[in-house]
Order: sequence, then C-alpha cells, then structure tokens
Amino acid sequence: MRVRFWGVRGSIPAPGPETNRYGGNTSCVSVHTASGELIIIDMGTGLLSLGNSLLPTEFGKGAGKATILLSHAHWDHIQGLGFFAPVFIPGNQFVLWGHAKSSSLLEGILEGQMNPNFSPLYTLRNLGATVDVRAVIPGEPFEAAGVRITGRPNPHGSTTALAFRIDEGDRSFVYASDVGYAPGGPSPEVLELYRGASALLHDCTYTPEHQEKRRNRGFSSYEDAADAAARAGVGRLIMFHYDQDYADTDVDALHASCRAALDARGGQAIELTAAAEGLELEI
Amino acid sequence: MKVRFWGVRGSLPVPGRLTNRYGGNTSCVEVRPRGDWPIIIDAGTGIRRLGKSMMESAFGDGRGTAHVLISHTHWDHIQGLPFFSPFYQQGNRVHVFARQRHDTHLQAVFASQTEDPYFPVPLSALRAEIEFHELVEGSQFEIGRAKVTCTRLNHPWIAMAYRIDVDGAAIVYCSDTAPFSDVLLEHEFIRTPPQVGGVLDPAVAEKLASMRAGLVAMCRGADLLIYDTQFTPEEYRARPHWGHSTPDDAIHVAREAGVKTLCLYHHAPTRTDEQQDVILHATQELCRTAGEPFEVIAAYEGLELALGDEEGA
Ligand SMILES: [Zn+2]
Ligand SMILES: [Zn+2]
Ligand SMILES: [Zn+2]
Repeated sequence: MRVRFWGVRGSIPAPGPETNRYGGNTSCVSVHTASGELIIIDMGTGLLSLGNSLLPTEFGKGAGKATILLSHAHWDHIQGLGFFAPVFIPGNQFVLWGHAKSSSLLEGILEGQMNPNFSPLYTLRNLGATVDVRAVIPGEPFEAAGVRITGRPNPHGSTTALAFRIDEGDRSFVYASDVGYAPGGPSPEVLELYRGASALLHDCTYTPEHQEKRRNRGFSSYEDAADAAARAGVGRLIMFHYDQDYADTDVDALHASCRAALDARGGQAIELTAAAEGLELEI
Repeated sequence: MKVRFWGVRGSLPVPGRLTNRYGGNTSCVEVRPRGDWPIIIDAGTGIRRLGKSMMESAFGDGRGTAHVLISHTHWDHIQGLPFFSPFYQQGNRVHVFARQRHDTHLQAVFASQTEDPYFPVPLSALRAEIEFHELVEGSQFEIGRAKVTCTRLNHPWIAMAYRIDVDGAAIVYCSDTAPFSDVLLEHEFIRTPPQVGGVLDPAVAEKLASMRAGLVAMCRGADLLIYDTQFTPEEYRARPHWGHSTPDDAIHVAREAGVKTLCLYHHAPTRTDEQQDVILHATQELCRTAGEPFEVIAAYEGLELALGDEEGA
C-alpha cells in the first residue's frame, strides 16, 4: 500500500513561510491499497488538496468510491469535509467509519459542523455524494476497501481518539494520532494493535517540555511516540500532528530528538520518518 | 489609528508556498486607536498570532481589555477564537460583539463551537472575563473614543458590516457579502443558484436595494473600505448564492460612497499569490482608466496602515 500525507499539523492550520517544508494543513492521510482502493484517514484541511487531486479520476465523474476513517471529531480532523470537492459530485460514494456509541450519533456530530451558524452548507444532506456513516466497534476488525481494518480508542484529553490498523497481505499501517497516554504508555490492547506494524504513524505533537506545560490537551511527545514504537517492535515510526507553533526548524529538531529517543530504547533498527505534506511512502 | 491585517483569506486557511505573500490565515483585522486597547474585527485563524503579540503587553499579566467585532459566525470568522491567548490569562476582559439571533443567545452559539466533541477546552473553562454583546442593524455604540456603527450584509445566515470612527479617520469592514443584485440571502438554504441578471421579485429587489443603500450610507467618506472580493466574475456567475462579491461590486460601492481607499479582502482559498497579483493589478488599472478618485490595495498578512491623526507619523 502507498501512504501519502496531505496534512500533518495538529489543532489549527499554521500557514506561513516558516511551515513551508512540513506543511501547515491539519490531519489528512491517504492510503492507496495494492488493489487500487482508496482509504482516507481524517478530514483536516489537507483534504482540500486531496479532493482536488482526485477530480481527474472517477471521482470527477461521480463514479468514485472511498473509505474514510475518522479518529475523532475535533475540528482539526473534520474541517476539510466542506471543502472536499468529490463530496459535492452526485454519484460518488463514501463510507465513513468513526467512533461513537452508534452511527446515528456519529452522523449527528458531523451534522453539527455543517450547522448553518457555522457553515453555508447547512446540513450533510446538501453534499451531493452519499456518505454512509458507520460506528467502529473497538477491537473488532471490519472489511473495507478490500482490506482488514481494526480500530481501538486511545485516551485523548477528556475524550478518546481511535487508532486504526490497516492490514493488507503481510503489510500493515497503523494510524495513531491525538494520543495522551496515562502514565505507563499504551494499554495492552492498543500495544497489541501496534505490534509488529510495518509502519506506525504516531502523534508527535511536541517536546516533553512543552507537553509538561499543556498536559490536559492529551497529546504525545516524541518520547511517547518512540516508546510506543520500540515496545511494539514496528518497522518504521512516522512522526505526525506537530504543534501549530512549531516552525520547520523546530520539527527538524523534534526529528533528531526522536531518533535519539528511539536509539536509547533499543530501537536502532526502526526507521524514522517525519511526515511532511506531499511525502509519499510505499509500505 | 492603526489598522493591521492578521488574516485575509476567505472560507478556509490555506498554508503553503503558493500563499506565502498574501498569507493563508482566515479573516482577522486589528484596529488600534492611538494609545488605546485594540478593537479586533473577526476571529479567523489570523487571531492566533495577534493574540500572541498582545500577550507581550498588558494582556500578558491579565490587565488587558479587548473588543472583538464578529461579522458572522461562519467558521472562517471564528475558528481562531479558541487559540486566542488572552482568553487563557486571568484578569483580561474581552467583549465580543455580534448580531443578535432570533432563536438563541450569542453565547450559546460560541459555546457550541468549543463543546465536546469538537474542541477540548469549553468556553466555560477560559480564564478571562468574556462578555457577549448582541447587536441589531443600525446599532451604534462607543468603545473608548471610537464610535462604532453597523449595518447588515447579503450573506447566508446574515453578516454585519462595521464602521469605526476614531482619531479623525474612519474605516469600514464589509465582509462577507454578495452583491445586492441577484439573490437575497437570509436564513433559507438556496439549493439551485438563480440566474444572474434575471428579473427579481419586487419585494426582494426592494429589500436588496435598501440593504445596499444602508451600506453605501455607512461607507460615506470612509478613509478605508475593506471589502469581500473573493470572486472573479465567472466564479460569481457560477455561485451567486454563496454570498461573496467581485472587485467590480466593491468599486461601485466605493465610488458611490466616496471612500479614499478600497482594500480587496477575503481572498479565495484557491487563489495563489500570483493570481491575486493579477486581480489587484487589473482592478487598479480599471480604476485608473475610469478616473476613480480612490486608491485600490489588496490586503495581505502583516499589512499595517496608519490613518487619520497617525498618518505619516
Ligand atoms: Zn488533532
Ligand atoms: Zn467568510
Ligand atoms: Zn461567510
């Protein structure tokens, strides 16, 4: 499978020359499976460019199909939906998987962002394409886009965010953004979800010093990310969801520190990649 | 007074190399009367950096007072509020002004922006003292020495334009609005766009005409008119019901109201710096050829203008 990053920033888009290299758009990742299906993970502002890139394909003709995985409904993970061109083209079909007690509750949450107070779209029903909303049952694998997907909630401040594992043949990609572990790190179930993944994309919002000051927000430091990756024995760790105040040079430093943290935990064999807008990885 | 642009983009923040010069942050303008607290118009993502700069002053020790005028609550005009640092410092006072709603209180609208599951910090957890003020069309009030007036615009769910008079100068902030010619935008969702240039129902035509007259009257003699010019003429014809104008529409209002400077604003998210340059230069050329008495500029992040008593200072 091929993973591409469309938005790698956390909390709020951070435009400006100082974020040109890693990018200022909020969370959005695409996964093209080996069999050619499309999975979109999270719908931050990066979704605008992903959508435009899909217009020359069957999505431009209203014959596109994609699976969307939603980690949670914080603004930086849903704001792009109203700017995703394929969703306005009748005929396109999306199945959206997220975390809620029921799919109708999840639909209500997405409906809330289209509320006319906030958006000129008024309601999800004005989108054109069909969006079939489904609730993920934690730990229970489901088939979508021809691959096996499993979701498990991680603590995230006062709420939770789903981590997803996508398995295709002997390759696996885990997406774990927006994670604030309790002391002791990932739960045994979550560690199992990460276990031996070809690539683990992990929340790497800030340095441990900054995390200390903003603990209640529920994000990871590079140490948390390195720790999870080393303990789960993954092949590659992908840093993601950088703090909105970090310039490219700060992310460079975060990258170097994360490398050292991995090595210190016996993770010398783990490849390390700092996610950047436009970067594409073959898993 | 000084006017500084912190966010000039419409609809969605657009980071990236292609928008570095004009800037990718959404709507936020700071108006600073001489020696007084800032008056902030709109709270798009640009307010994040403004808030940080304010923390270098009295707001850093919780002794600041700010006034925020909200044109309307579409995301691109309020998304930055939860990232406005002065909110998190005890002792600061922030007054938020927006149009009164017929169905709910302003505070409830803002509270739902940050409630679970959309944002981790609820409105009630902010440390500053926040007071909401509900406005109606034609409201007039004072903020320190500044005189503020407002009038409604033609935009889905209705937006307000503001005029601020202080230090011997006047600015008008007019965003977001459609022209007043083809479609009346209020609370109903418009599914299929009307034909541009078609014949209007007389009642609708009258309402639009009086809305426009109210705006022109409010702009009368302003030193600076900041205007939503998100659309090119082709884009407008395709989406007249989205509630945005073209530079042409702004020119007509600027001419009738006799303003000194027209500032293009609320740039389309898909517009690159080079495309925006082309729009600016074409608009300037058009006005020069037509002998318009006003100057045309385009807003960009970091642009600061000194007006009235502070001109040339
Ligand atoms: Zn996030
Ligand atoms: Zn707007
Ligand atoms: Zn608007």
